[in-house]
Amino acid sequence: MTFVVTDNCIKCKYMDCVEVCPVDCFYEGDNMLVIHPDECIDCGVCEPECPAEAIFPDTQPGLEDWLKLNAEYASVWPNITVKREPPADAKEFDGVPNKLEQHFSASPGRGD
Amino acid sequence: MIPSITKLDGISEDGIRRLVDAFYAKVRVDPELAPIFLRAIPGDWQPHLNRMYAFWSSVMLTTGRYKGNPLVKHLVIPGIRPQLFERWLALFNETCGELFDDGISEEFRVKAARIAESLMLGLFYRPDRPWPPETAA
Repeated sequence: MTFVVTDNCIKCKYMDCVEVCPVDCFYEGDNMLVIHPDECIDCGVCEPECPAEAIFPDTQPGLEDWLKLNAEYASVWPNITVKREPPADAKEFDGVPNKLEQHFSASPGRGD
Repeated sequence: MIPSITKLDGISEDGIRRLVDAFYAKVRVDPELAPIFLRAIPGDWQPHLNRMYAFWSSVMLTTGRYKGNPLVKHLVIPGIRPQLFERWLALFNETCGELFDDGISEEFRVKAARIAESLMLGLFYRPDRPWPPETAA
């Protein structure tokens, strides 16, 4: 079991999660974070920390595609353990539906 | 007669220290767990205890004090097997119940069980074998 980052992280990327994660299992894309499913120990600390409420346990139904996306990009994006300034327009994108189709970037982020 | 003590109704760094100290005091004399732990930690236990204070502080108080890779640490332990996780959880749950009230104990138990399951998946899951593994002795 693992936690997964989902749609509302895209273009929000607040990064509060990376500071509390005890096992440093977040990886940074250009405009979203993902969790490495093999590194996550399922402690759940990140879930309530996410201001965008974008993190869920994979036991929740309907997250199979997000789990795949997290696993795929966690293996190619850089690790991130230290929070930086979120994007200036993060608030405007918080809650916008279906960001994956229109806004997702497969490019890697800066990482630590 | 055992004196009645007030159980803790909140989680603090001090409560976590007491839990960790009491739990590992039991581990060190447990017939199943002691041999594994004493081989992994042959000398001074304080560094391990300090890491465990930080770990539970991170998990229960979201302090971010612990940073590490517990899966890798467990991978290298000779003789590690699913039954030991069951024993670990039983002792941990017992210790929680001695120190904390029912609600707080449950919070610790839920976290511990989930983390244990996750570590067990990482350590023992094989796609070609049934899950959960057979834990009968």
